[in-house]
Formats: sequence, structure tokens, C-alpha cells
Amino acid sequence: MSAKDLRFWLKNFWKDFRKERSGLVGIIILSLSIFVVVFEPLLLPWSEVNTRWRDIDYWRDNSASAPPSWTNLLRAKKASTTEKVKASKPEELELDGGIKMIRYEFEYDFTADEPPLDAIIHGLGSGDLPLTFSVQRPDGETIELAQRFERGLAETDVRFSLGNDARDAAFGFLKSHDTEQNLSALSPGAIDSPKIIFNETHEGMSSTFKALKGIYKFEVAAMILDPENSHYEKPYVIVSGSVSGLLGTDNMKRDIFSGLLAGLKWALLIGLLTSFVSVLIGVFYGIISAYYGGIVDTIMQFIFQLFNGIPLLPVLIVVSAIFKPSIWFIIGVMTMFFWTGSVMTVRSMAFQIKEGTYIEAAKALGAKNRRIIFKHMAPLLLPYSFASMALSVPSAIVYESTISLLGLGDASIVTWGQILHDAMAGGAILNGVWWWIIPPGLLIAVMGMTFAFIGFAMDKILHPKLRTR
Amino acid sequence: MSLGLAAACPLFLVPNTGLSKKKTSFRTARSFGYSGGDMYKWFALKRITKGVVMYAILIVVMSALFNTVSDQTMGSQIQEQVRMEAQRLRNITPAALQNWQNDRKNELIRLYKLDRPLAERIIYRAINTLTFNFGKSTIIKSSQGERDVLTIISEAIPRSLILFTVAAAIEIILGIILGLKKAQSPGGKLDKSTSFVTMVVYGMPTWWLAMLLIMALVYTVKLFPSGGMHSVPPPSGFMYLVDMAWHMALPMLTLVIIGFWGISFIVRNIVLGVLQDDYIMAARARGIPENKVLFGHTMRTAAPPLITISLLSLLASISGSIVFEGIFSWPGLGNLYWIALQQNDVPVLLGDLAITIGLYQAGLVLLDLTYGFLDPRIKVGGKA
Repeated sequence: MSAKDLRFWLKNFWKDFRKERSGLVGIIILSLSIFVVVFEPLLLPWSEVNTRWRDIDYWRDNSASAPPSWTNLLRAKKASTTEKVKASKPEELELDGGIKMIRYEFEYDFTADEPPLDAIIHGLGSGDLPLTFSVQRPDGETIELAQRFERGLAETDVRFSLGNDARDAAFGFLKSHDTEQNLSALSPGAIDSPKIIFNETHEGMSSTFKALKGIYKFEVAAMILDPENSHYEKPYVIVSGSVSGLLGTDNMKRDIFSGLLAGLKWALLIGLLTSFVSVLIGVFYGIISAYYGGIVDTIMQFIFQLFNGIPLLPVLIVVSAIFKPSIWFIIGVMTMFFWTGSVMTVRSMAFQIKEGTYIEAAKALGAKNRRIIFKHMAPLLLPYSFASMALSVPSAIVYESTISLLGLGDASIVTWGQILHDAMAGGAILNGVWWWIIPPGLLIAVMGMTFAFIGFAMDKILHPKLRTR
Repeated sequence: MSLGLAAACPLFLVPNTGLSKKKTSFRTARSFGYSGGDMYKWFALKRITKGVVMYAILIVVMSALFNTVSDQTMGSQIQEQVRMEAQRLRNITPAALQNWQNDRKNELIRLYKLDRPLAERIIYRAINTLTFNFGKSTIIKSSQGERDVLTIISEAIPRSLILFTVAAAIEIILGIILGLKKAQSPGGKLDKSTSFVTMVVYGMPTWWLAMLLIMALVYTVKLFPSGGMHSVPPPSGFMYLVDMAWHMALPMLTLVIIGFWGISFIVRNIVLGVLQDDYIMAARARGIPENKVLFGHTMRTAAPPLITISLLSLLASISGSIVFEGIFSWPGLGNLYWIALQQNDVPVLLGDLAITIGLYQAGLVLLDLTYGFLDPRIKVGGKA
């Protein structure tokens, strides 16, 4: 088949394919997912998800098991959303004795009906730093949250959590607004400080919450005692609300949307690589088996049946359990079993082709076996395998997810199956954490659907016998 | 069926690929049609022998592949056993105890052939597996509290079989009915819409649907039990069966919801192929009613591949959706994989694998035998 023939064939194929609406939908979804994979770094809300998915520190500012933020639309009382607040321009003050003071301000617009779970003030510090944190509420009251003296920092992240580090200040604030009697019911060490700081001042505010909406101004002031060596920069505030992100978080505070996005490329890789290699092997195996015939065929058929007689999933489970493999090993094992899928079809077709007069002519002209197989037989048979290539992509994805579901996946990557495993282990079914279970499985199903659309459309064109008439 | 339809993917492409029949079955089966049971017996014997040989080869390969881990497990089990036995000894000096322990350990090592060369160990273990001698589990116990792997597994087999055979039977009945309807008016509304659904559920993992259904129908709307096979304690008499059916309902529903689409699609393709034959056109031309053409003429020809499909879908369950049991804690072979993985019980894991492969091989043999019996005119290679 020359390049010209190929172009002609492709053109004809496309002409037929265009009429298959579901096939087109498949192509569109596939291109969309490839687009997403290519632009993944731009789309990820948590950019380091690929390397730090299992790093608890990376996720600790999030709230655990938070529903998606759009669920607010269905709620009467709006929950606060997790968001990042950027600092305003730093304000520098020269104090006497060469000491500087840097002040950053963060404006957080609080519009929800429920308090955030926490607000965390981050900043990169160096050297010895006295830090002051405070907040100005919409009603004009200013609360000194805490003062800290951090020593010996070296570009370290200074983390100040409203929930953990501002209890004393919150209790102090409460003292000046609520009655003695109400206060006595509280223990200062266990109070929920965000609930107090975002509360309207009223009697009984230690137990009831009335959201005080408006702009909260958080402020960090750092004293630069030694301007040569110490500085404080890149501060930001994360308000961790009780709803979070596009698809919520899991019980380890991880952002599920980021995990799913990171898993897309692995699903595509696993599916496409496994099906491509295995169908290619299967096609050539079938051709060689049919072309040589006789004893070669007998032996090759025996080997084929041997592989065909092994239930893949149990073998994959045991192999993964015992060898703790990487994703490449899993792909390899799947390929070892997937190639049998296309052998029989190709072999029977190759039996017919091999008897063709042009093969006889090629032989008479002295063409070598390899030339006949690669130049004359394979080009005729390969197009037929495209459909089975597309249709075996979903099985590869599903097999990998199943292995991961059992907790046997490659721990250095994020896959949809692993997210579902964590969901199972984290009791998501029991607790009805639907945003943890539905999206990963739905993506697996949609991937399967996409390739089924493409595969069935191709199959219809390539095997006209089954066409509906 | 199986993990989702995807696992049965080759089936979708060419309806006849399931019939990987060779010349032998062609010859013998046809002869069977002419000359009674002798030739078929010969064919059956050959096929069964081949199945056994293949199973033996697979077990030897398995034994070689997992040799290291088996050695380790055996080693630690011997140590455990010696320790247990040493505790029972009384009135013994520490030195004598040490000696006794070493002797006993060496004795056991010799008994289990751990001191023999690699090849011998592999063959020894393969033979053990082939004779269903899987040894003792490390942690898991059977319902009677025994630690014999064979007992543990043989308890699980019937539970798996009942779930999957009943589900497969329902799938097949629904699949054939829908498939025939689809083939009756190919390209029609029903055909198109159901084919669309087939594609939508094609890559959907059965266990994911199971998770969703459990979340919805067990914990939100409390319709079904959360898992297991019986209530605790199990009721007696007739209620025992009712209780089991109630526990089985949701797993079965899940399997059927995903499975029967694929079968109906394959049935449609097979029936459509038959409907294009000349004799069907002749029958229609003679004015035979459409239903009679469909159920009489067409079904008779389509029956062998349909039965193959049925058996294959059952086999695909063994190979694919066995894990799905774990979601429902249905105490079958698949759930055993989950437990063995959690407890890191290697003997049970390997025994379970050996039995699963054995069942699968047996299923394939059964498939070929049935097909050889039913269809006296199997084409060589089949037409693609």
C-alpha cells in the first residue's frame, strides 16, 4: 500500500466515518481529553498534584471531606468556600535603628452563612522575625490574633492557622462581648476560633453563630531586625471553607478534581499503549501463523490457546500482589494477555489472502517471506484491527482500575482506580461521600464510552457485513 | 458480563471468534453426525486431555513464577510450627531445646523439600498444586476454623457459582429477547437506542456501579442488606432461601444491568448474520409468518453460537468480575482474593489462583465439547 493508496483509503474511510454520529462524538471527546492532557499544567488548581498526591503536608490547608463548592447553589444556608486570598502591596515602614517593618494586608470578602473552618496565613521567612497577626472586622473591631517570634528561618514557610494559633485571642474577644455565665460553659483551649471571629457580636455569641458578612482585613506585620539577612515575602491566606473546589476533597484533604485531572493522562496512556502494542502483536502473530501454516501454525495455535486459557484478572491480581509492580510492568502484563484478542480473526482472514494470486505472483518473482508479510499482507489486515484496537482501550483502563481498586496500583502515580480505592478504604460508600465515588468511575465509564463509540463506528465501516440495511 | 462489557471485547467484533475450533472438532463432530457416539467420544477425550495438559503447563509456570515467595512463606510457616511444638515440650534444658528445634526444623525443611535444587522445588510444588494439595493458610480460616487452603476455597466455589450462574442465566434470557427484537428491525429505533446504551455501558466497571447502587439502595434508601450472604444469625428452613435471595438481589441486579446489553448486541449480530442467508429469504418468500421465521428457522441455526456466548459470558465473569464480590462481601472466590490480599495470605492467594485457572480451563473444555456436540458443521477457521 503506497502513500497514495493510504490517502485514498483514509479519505474514503473518513467519508463513511463522518456519517456515524456516535463515532464523531467519540472523536470529539477524545480530542478534548488530549487537549486537557496537553494543557494540564494550566488547568490544575493544585499544580504539584502529580508529585505530591500522597504528601499530607501539601494538602493540609484544605478541609477534609468537603463537598464541591457548587453544592452551595442547592443550599439554603451558604457554606463558605475554600479560596486563596492574595496580599496587597507591602507597606514598608522605616523605624529607627535601621529596623524595618513590612505590613501585608489581605482583603477577604465573607459572604457565606456559615463560618470557614480555618484561615491560614502563609509566608516565606528568613532570619529572625517577630511577626504580628491581626484582623479587622467589617464592624470596625480589630482583633490582635497573635504575636510570634520566629528564629533561624531559612526561606521557610511560616504557617499561622486561625483555628489552632488564635484561640487565646478569640477567647479574649469573646470575653469583651459575651456574659460571664455563657463564658463559663466554655474551655478556652477547645474553642472554635473562626466561628467567633466571623460571628456578629451579640449576647450568647459563644454558642450561636450569626454571620457577620463583609470585608475582613487580615494583616501580617513583620519586623525586619537585620535587613541584610532577614526578610518576609510571598504571603497569602487560604480560607478553608466547608465546601471546596470543583469536585470537593477527600478525607485526606486532597482536591479530587486535581487528582482526576492528573489521572487522565495515565488512563489514556494505559489504554492506548496496551491496546496498540497488543493488537499489533496479535495481527502479526495471526498473519505469521496463517502464512507459514503446518507445524508452525500448530505450535503457534497451541501457544495462543495457552494464553487464551488464562483468566487475566486473577493472574494480574496475584502478580501485582507478589511483585508490587510499577505501572509499566502492569501495562506489560496486560499486553501479554491482550494480544490474543485479535489473533483468530486475523488468522482466518490471512488464510484467505495468502491464497491470492498476487501473493503467488510475488513468490514467483522471488519475494522473500518477510516482504510478503510486511508489504502485501499486513497492510491489508492492519486496518481491520483498528476497530479492535479502539475497543480494547476501555478494557485496559478498567483492568488497571480494578488492580488499583484492590490497592495494588503503582504508588508513584495518581490513577482513577486508586482514588476509588481510597474512597472504598475511607468509607465513602458508608458515609455517602458521593463526590468521591461518582466522578472517578464516571470518567472511567466515559473513557470506555468514547472508545466504544469510535470502535463500533470503525467496525461498522470495516465490516460491512454487519451493516444495518 | 465480567468487569464491564469491555472485558469481552473480542466477542463484539466477530460473532464467531469464540469458536476457536480446530480441524479435529470439525472432522469428529461431523462424523458424529453420521456414525454415532464413537467419534465424538474420541474428540471429547482429546479435548479433555489437551485441557489437562494445558492446565499442568500453566501450573508449572505459576509454580516457577512464584517460587521465591512460596519458599519464604513455607520457611516462616516451618519456623512457626517449630516454635509451637517447642512450647509443648516440658522438662528440657535450653541447650537440648535448641538442639531439638534445629533437628525438627531440618526435618521439616527436608519434608517440604526446601533443601532441594530449584527445579525440583518447582516441580514438587506444581505437583502439589495439581493434586489440590495447597497446604495451610497463614491467617485465613474456614467457617469450621480449619486452616487447610483447599477447604477454604471449596467453601467459596459454590457461592461464586450460584451468584454468577443465576446472573448469567438472567442476562442471557434478557439478552436473547432483546437481541432478537433488535435483529428484527436493524437500524430501527429500538436497535439504535439499545446499541447506544450498549456503548455507554461498554467501559463501565461493574464494581463501580455496585458501589453506586450500594450507596443509593443500601445506605440512602434502606432496601437491601449491605453485604454478605445471609443475615446473622441465618434463619432456618424456607426463610433461609428467602434471606439468601434478598442478599443476592443487589449483586445480581448489578451484574444484569451491565451484562445483558452486551449479550443482546452479540445475539443481534449473530441473528442478523443468519437472517441474511438465502433460506430465510426463501422462507419469507413462501409466506411463513415472521415470528415463525425468527424463532423456528433462525433460532435453530443460531442456537450453537448463542449457547457458546452464554458459556463465554459465564467464563468472562470468572475471569473479569470476580473482584466485584468484594464490594458486596459476597463470600466467594473473588472475595477471597480481597481477604487474602488484606491479610497477605500467600498460600490462599496462590490456591485461589490455581482453582480459578482450573475452573476457567474446565469451562473452556466444556464450551468446546458442547459446541462440538451441537454443531455438526463447524466451519474451519470460521468466516470473518
